Order: sequence, then structure tokens, then C-alpha cells
Amino acid sequence: MATLAPPEQKAPPRPVRRKGVTEQQRPLWLLTPGGLLMTVVIVLPLILALWISLIDLDQYTLRRWVEAPFIGLNNYVESFSSGLLNSIWISVSFAVISTVATVPIGIAAALVTQNKYRGRGLVRAVFLIPYVLPSFVVASVWRTMLQPDGIVNAWLSKVGIDGGLWLSGPRSYWTLILVEIWAAWPFIYLMALAALQSVDHEVHEASAVDGATWWPKLRRVILPYLRGPVLLACLLATLNHINNFTLPFVLFGAPAPEDVNVMPMIVYVTSFQSLRFGLSAAMAVLSLILIAIPLFIYLRAVRLDVHDEGGRK
Amino acid sequence: MNAKRITALAAVTALALGVAACGGDDEGGEGGAGKTLNVLIGANTQYPDEFQAWQKDISTKFKAATGAEVKFETFASANDELTKIQTSVVSGSGPDVYAVGTTFTPTAYSTGAFVKMGDEEWSKIGGKEKFNPATLGISGPDEQNQVGIPWVSRPFVMAYNTELLKAAGIDKPATTWDELTAQAKQLTKGDQYGLAIAYKDNFDPWKFVWGMSTQAGNPLVDGKTAKLTDPAVQKAYQTYFGWLANDKVVDPAAIGWTNPQALAAFAEGKTGYFLLTTTTANNSLEQGAVKGKWKFALLPTVPPGATSRPANGVEAASILSGDNLLVADYSKNKDLAFEYVKLVTDQEAQLDYYKKFGNLPANAAALQTLASDEQLEPVTEAAKKSVATPFTGAWADIQLALTNVAVQTLPELTKGPLNTGQLDSRIAEAQKSAQSSLDRAK
Repeated sequence: MATLAPPEQKAPPRPVRRKGVTEQQRPLWLLTPGGLLMTVVIVLPLILALWISLIDLDQYTLRRWVEAPFIGLNNYVESFSSGLLNSIWISVSFAVISTVATVPIGIAAALVTQNKYRGRGLVRAVFLIPYVLPSFVVASVWRTMLQPDGIVNAWLSKVGIDGGLWLSGPRSYWTLILVEIWAAWPFIYLMALAALQSVDHEVHEASAVDGATWWPKLRRVILPYLRGPVLLACLLATLNHINNFTLPFVLFGAPAPEDVNVMPMIVYVTSFQSLRFGLSAAMAVLSLILIAIPLFIYLRAVRLDVHDEGGRK
Repeated sequence: MNAKRITALAAVTALALGVAACGGDDEGGEGGAGKTLNVLIGANTQYPDEFQAWQKDISTKFKAATGAEVKFETFASANDELTKIQTSVVSGSGPDVYAVGTTFTPTAYSTGAFVKMGDEEWSKIGGKEKFNPATLGISGPDEQNQVGIPWVSRPFVMAYNTELLKAAGIDKPATTWDELTAQAKQLTKGDQYGLAIAYKDNFDPWKFVWGMSTQAGNPLVDGKTAKLTDPAVQKAYQTYFGWLANDKVVDPAAIGWTNPQALAAFAEGKTGYFLLTTTTANNSLEQGAVKGKWKFALLPTVPPGATSRPANGVEAASILSGDNLLVADYSKNKDLAFEYVKLVTDQEAQLDYYKKFGNLPANAAALQTLASDEQLEPVTEAAKKSVATPFTGAWADIQLALTNVAVQTLPELTKGPLNTGQLDSRIAEAQKSAQSSLDRAK
């Protein structure tokens, strides 16, 4: 009713009120289907996983899981004595090394395909091959090549190097990183390329007018443009590396060598080979929390959101 | 699959309860007509077309006998199977009949979701007597509590290259592990090796260790006690690793082999023995360079370091390997399920299955008809001398712990003589994990 009041009476507060009205009248109910879906697909399973992590659920109690004994934080305590910390360390270090190594490769590849030349389309397509291959295929091919009598060792022996074991022992850790880098660098490349494309033509012209040679131009003009997208790419890539299950599973099998017993592997083995569903749920929840903390801090620090509002939230 | 998805999967498994509670029952009503029996069975990737044909054939026969349909559902990996069992067990609906691997039967039993076979149930499928007695060894913890109905056997044997053995002056395959090691040394020269062994396989290593240890009188589990730190286990690991690290009678590349890779290497015709194989390998062997020059033989049954089996040793020629059929406790079609089990365990169906897929019959009469096949004789003998692995819900974990010792030791095998101190500490770790799993067993 207030909106019907004569305009001259309360002119100044009007826009404020208008805003209030539109905010209140937003058809939020339209979000219901999405919200319901989110609840069913994400929230409910997460709550269930939390619940399962607090009960002693295994093959013996599975059939009457509702009656499985509640054991509080025992699963969490046991997680720490079951090698989870070591797995987290392996996962995080592996992910960070992989990301750090893929950034220069990705950016270099993006720069190489930035300017037009004959065959650029082909080069761009070839660069994407590792990325479009399914992880399972990548791991199977590398597994075959890295056999003790595989093609890699055959080549190495031709130049007088004894290749040794790639898929067992301490070196398996570096094998995992190597294959991950091979498969994941095009992601950084794609993000960097997208950022390069968005650099205004005027910027190139201006640096040409100023007589900037390629290196100062690259370092002071182009790279700052890439900062945001590449940082975002680093974040996403690191998370992808941490969550990669297929690659270590196919490369090394289960049980995996201690050096590549990454988080998804230990959760998988606990759940599907030892059948300790409660314990594995606790491990998964812990992993989630441990990854979420630095992620949260990082997101706050780099403020990936471009809008002020989003940043403040 | 990533960590989050695994969590979600575990949760969704539990969610299934709610969903299933609203779902309908399996097809009800009296008489077979109009009903459908759901059977979960492992996919056969080796002979997919024949497998399709077999399913069709069984469906037709089943319909003729009962009027009901059979719907086959296949799983691609043990993991798929486990997930299916989990969701069905939690929700109380799903397949009526499951075909599961023998070593998985104790785990399935521990869920309590399958029909225990009493006299009445056995008689419905044609009597317990129709099976090769050895195959019943892993049907349940004792005779009164059996859930697994033997379906097919895949007893393990070794294959040997007749030509290479003859050339080395060996007139018959080894019957003790020590004799085998000695023969392997004789056979190793140039690019020719005594043994083909799948060191990187995810299952093979524990089978060797269990076998040698059982023959020495220690079946690894005694009631609720794990006995992995026993000298017999230590000796088994030392022998198994020693072939590569100390005796050097195995191709060094074997450190990266799974079972099919070891089979392929043996099929090239430059290896004396291929340990741990079964009749399903026939085709690969017949297509390789070794064609017509190989035979099966019983694996040695005298433990390493001995010339005869000790008094408490067991003549374990193979783990009791193959598939069991389980009828789900929640099934509304139990009678039909037993009809199906009867059909596929009858002599004729068993022989037909053997011809198509190389899996030996669990049916005693059907097995007997194969005894005249000279090539097969060691395998049928192994089927009779198969010994069940300990029947405990903890077995999956013990198996994993035993394999883990092998996985972690592999890198050291290339560095010359085996470091027994390190091996012992790994075995001690396996013992700890096995015992903790046994403590949880109910």
C-alpha cells in the first residue's frame, strides 16, 4: 500500500524502499528445484557420510546399518593410526609439484600458439591430445611403456642408462608425478590461452610503439594479464590432482606401493577391500576438511571473485 | 572415482535403503509363469559371444522347466560385484541369485544376507552328494551353516614346457618346492628361464604363501588368531622371492608381470614352468609358440625346505578356487532360485559350461567324465585336492596384508640377495593388520 502514496510526500527514501521491495519480491521459490536437487545430490550424502563416519559400519553390520553401533570419534582416531597423515602428505606434495611443473609448460605452449602461423590449428589440436584422453587410457599406456622390459627402459638402455623399476618402490612417486604432468598440462595451457586471447589489441600496439622487446613485453605487459586465470587454473588443477584416483589405481594397482598410497587410494582400499565403511568415511571426511582449510584461506587471499560483493562473502 | 565420489558412493549405498523401502517386491504370484528371476554373474570378457549364447540357452531351458524368465545381470569387476551386493544387502532387494568367487564367500556369509542351506534346500537342488566334496569346503564355516553352492572350479596347477624339460634331462615335473627350484636352475641358461611368475599380480603372491604355509602345517589362521609370523610363512616368502632375488631363475622383467603377462611370457616357449594357472589359459597356450609342447602338472605339495610333508601338513594342491552360487535371503523367488541352481549344476549343463569356458564342473559326475582326458588329469586331481582358505570374514583383509608384503618388497628383489630383516618387519606388520581384522570378525 505504501507504494501508492503520493510521490511528493516522501520522495528521498523512495529508491531505498523500491530496492527493498524488489529484494523482497524476488521469486526465490524458483530456486526450489535446484535447491532440492542440491540437497538430494550433495547435502544428504554428505550428512550420511558424516553419520557413517561416526558408526562402526562394516560387512558385519551392513545389513542392519541403522543399528550399527555408534562409536563417536573412534573412526577418526583410527584414521590417524592407519596411515592417513602419510597419504595426505603424499597427495598434497604430489599435487603441488604437478601443478608447479605444469604452469610453465602450459604458459609456454599458450604463447607458442598465440600468434598466427601455418599449422597453428594442428599444433593446438595436438596439444590437447593428452587432455582429451581418458585417464584410464593414459594410465594403461604408461603402465605398458614403463614395464621393466618396456619401451622406456629399452630406449634408456640404448644410451647406456639402466632404467630400473618405475612402478614399484620410491621411484613410483616420481612416475605418478611425471604421468600426471603429461596428462594435465593442457589444462593450464587452455586457461592461459583463453587469457591471452582476451588481451586487447591496443596493448600489443602500445608496447610496439614504446619499442618494448619481447622479453620486457612478456614479463611486464602480457604475464600480468595471465595472473588471475592462471591462478584459478592452479587451484583447480591442484584439486584435480589430489582427487585423481584412476591414474594411481591403474598405474600401480591395489594395494599400491607405499610411496604412492595417495588419499583416494587409501579410502578405496579401506572401503572396498577391507570393507570398513565407517573408517573410510571418516578418512574421506578428514581429507575433505584438510583440503578445505587451505583452499578457503587461499580463496580469501586471492579473491578470485571479480565483484566486490562476492569477494566480501 | 575420487575421494569425494567414494564418500558419496558409500552414502548413496546407505540412501538406497530409503529408496528401496518404497520400491515394490520382486514379481510375486504362484507358479513360474509371469515371474522373473534375477541372476548376478561375472561378465566373461574372454568369450563374450559364447557367454551371450549360454545365457540365452539357459533362459530357454529355464522357461521350459518353470515357465519363468531368467534375467542375467553382469558385473565387470569384483568391485562392481561388491557394490551390487552392498546396495542389495542394505536395501533388501536386488538379484535373487549371485555367483561369487570362492574366496569372497566368507565375506558374503558375514553379511548374513544369504540363505543357509538346510537338508530341504539341498534336496531342492538335487542333493549335496552331487558335488565334488572338495568344492563344498568353502560353502560356510561349518556343515550346518553353508550358504555357498558350488558352481564351477578353477583349480590352480602349473604348466610346463615338455621340450625344455626333456632337453634339460628332466623326466618328470617337480613334486616338491625344493625340487622345483633345483629344476628351475637346470632350466635357466641364456635367454631361457626356469620359471614364469607374476610378481606384480594383485592376487598371485598370497596364493603361493598360503599354499606353502598350509603344506607346512600352518593355514595362517587358527580360530581367532593370525599366524603370519610363523617360520613357515617366512620360509614361503623367502622361497617365493628367492627365485628372483637369489636363485635368478626368473626373468627379471617378471617383477612387473601380472598373471596374464606371465602366461604370455611362458607361451613364447622360453620358460620351463608357469606356476599358478588354470584351464582357462588353454586357448592362450594353444595359440602361442608353446603349442603342443606344454602340459599341466600338479603344483608341488611338499613345503619348501622339506622332502616330505610334516605330519600336520595338508596336501593343498590349490586354493579352493572357482565360483559359488548364493541365494539371497530377501528373495521372494527362492523356489525359482533353487530351480535355477539345480539347472546349472546338473551334469549336462556343467559339462556344456566347461566346453564353452574351460571352467571345471563342481558336479562330481560331470568331473568324473573328464577324468579320462589325459591333458586334464592333473587339473581334475587338483580340483579334488583343493583346500579351502580360512573361512572368516577377515580373509579379505588377510589376503590384502599378504599381498602388500609382496608389493612393498618388489623393489628390493632386483638388488640381489633378499634382505630377510626387512621382510620380517613387513610380515610383522601384516600380522598386526590380520590380527586386528580377526579381532573384529563376528
